[in-house]
Amino acid sequence: MRHFCFRIPTTTIHLLRLLADTKSLFQKPTDDLLDMATTGPSNLNAKLVLLGDMGAGKSSLVLRFVKGQFLEFQESTIGAAFFSQTLAVNDATVKFEIWDTAGQERYHSLAPMYYRGAAAAIIVYDITNMDSFTRAKKWVQELQKQGNPNMVTALAGNKADLEEKRNVTTEEARVYAEENSLFFMETSAKAATNVNDIFHEIAKRLPRGQQPTQNPSGMVLVDRPTQGPRASATCCS
Amino acid sequence: MVSSTTPIINQSSIGPLIMYPFQRKTDLPFEIQPDFTFLRQSIHARRANIVVNFQDLYGFMVQGNVDDVNVLNEVREKVREQGRVWWGMEANRGANWYLRTYASSGDLKSSLRFSVLVNGMTLKKLIRKGIPPSLRPKVWFSLSGAAKKKSTVPDSYYDDLTAAVSDKITPATKQIDHDLPRTFPGHPWLDTPEGHAAVRRVLVGYSFRDSDVGYCQGLNYVAAMLLLVMKTEEEAFWMLAVLLENVLVNDCYTDNLSGCHVEQRVFKDLLTKKCPRLSAHLETLGFDVSLVATEWFLCLFSKSLPSETTMRVWDVLFYEGAKVLFNVALAIFKMKEEELLMTLYVGDVIKIIQDTTHNIFDPDDLLTVALDTISFMTTNLSKQRKKQETVVMEELDQRLRRLNTRKLSVKS
Repeated sequence: MRHFCFRIPTTTIHLLRLLADTKSLFQKPTDDLLDMATTGPSNLNAKLVLLGDMGAGKSSLVLRFVKGQFLEFQESTIGAAFFSQTLAVNDATVKFEIWDTAGQERYHSLAPMYYRGAAAAIIVYDITNMDSFTRAKKWVQELQKQGNPNMVTALAGNKADLEEKRNVTTEEARVYAEENSLFFMETSAKAATNVNDIFHEIAKRLPRGQQPTQNPSGMVLVDRPTQGPRASATCCS
Repeated sequence: MVSSTTPIINQSSIGPLIMYPFQRKTDLPFEIQPDFTFLRQSIHARRANIVVNFQDLYGFMVQGNVDDVNVLNEVREKVREQGRVWWGMEANRGANWYLRTYASSGDLKSSLRFSVLVNGMTLKKLIRKGIPPSLRPKVWFSLSGAAKKKSTVPDSYYDDLTAAVSDKITPATKQIDHDLPRTFPGHPWLDTPEGHAAVRRVLVGYSFRDSDVGYCQGLNYVAAMLLLVMKTEEEAFWMLAVLLENVLVNDCYTDNLSGCHVEQRVFKDLLTKKCPRLSAHLETLGFDVSLVATEWFLCLFSKSLPSETTMRVWDVLFYEGAKVLFNVALAIFKMKEEELLMTLYVGDVIKIIQDTTHNIFDPDDLLTVALDTISFMTTNLSKQRKKQETVVMEELDQRLRRLNTRKLSVKS
């Protein structure tokens, strides 16, 4: 009963979920982390938002992280796109609810809706484009002012595979990140460099054991048994 | 059409439907699928539920199951039937009979003539049932007001405009160039050098016509669909112009998208009125309807609904106005109200909504709910808009001020 293709009425799925409270069966930890996911007392739901200039590679990072794929030309995101992915970290699983936002400047006015109540943010720039780094700094300032004060914020210098076109030095970004207590990585969605690592690092840094925030769309701690992911992962293709 | 090595599991007898078994996900253009775990199928489920790729009426590759293919074939048949009805009307009432209606004549005296009123009512009903794709360019162009708009300027306006701006580089043109390969990637015409060049000329031309709009992401999808329907760049350009300048609410795509913010709030209030239980439930989940509806209103559903369904919405949009966007958005929630009431997480809500919109292959499923079940007064809509406009402007202003004071404090 655990293999649901998307044609089975979602109602059935929800009924089953309500009856059996087997939410964890529907979550798939990434394969390499499977062993760590089978034990542990709690699941953590964390809202994560990606911010950054148009074409910096926000959607590509998410696609790489969630599906392990890369598309040379990724459809431009309008408004925002939603994804979820579960990671196992130490004794808990973290289910990321990811908001991938539109990059064009005029969409800035929509951003608060997405970062409000977020537990984590990845601010993405393109290492070949200095303007995108400037834009990233603006996002950092805005989150410092308006975001959740406990937010885990990462700075991602994407397109690290394009070394020959680099315009933002690693050193410059590292210094900036240190000054602003961000954690920093250069990533490549295309070459799959540091993509899982950045999400994994965020998962590790999320504050544990705290009460759910007032905002329901923010971080919510849910106690649920986590037996089952192994079984559900092996019988699916 | 299909390579001989590819096994064909079902070749439809009507229409050039290309189908091949679903093999690798990586081959497909990326679609937003929020929780991929649900899509993992057991062998058993897969056999019962073969996933196929097929090309729809406007050349888009769609993923669905065998039922969806059958639905699409029925839709093709319905479209042909509609075509016969429309051609019959032309034969009976004369070519361009639809131009002699209340909505387009403007002249009060002639609009009260009985035949004109009858034409108007017939036309509205007929349009709600769908304009046949072959007549769409002609009917849209005249009924939307695009033809009238074009007639107020010299014939060479579009050619002169595109020639004058073809070498210019502005922030808008840079963004347009960046988005060209990202506009429906994989489409057999749009994603070719000619397709890119045509979309570019329309968007760049418009960015110079209205510098307040310039280029807004989302318009790339709208312009691309208009090109697919209208066939000629010039007519697509005028459709875009009439859409932004007359059909939609002001400032949807300008600077801070204030018009779009207004529409979102109006929509939220409408949902509260029409589906109070659902609205309350979504509120408790922390789900704001604009999380999904922003894309709907900015891309006019072109990124969410199958192409013919989108076009059917646009048929009504160009004749009855922007109100239909609310009807359709409400209908999507209404259609899945019971399922949505059982959701526990924001992610589940989005999953249901996206699965629903991506799979409405029969436009009538959506439009029957949107136009027959849901009704509200247009006058209320404009009243609501006016009310929300003040609120939105104030909020955007406040936000801008907060961000600016921060800049000052950083400097000092």
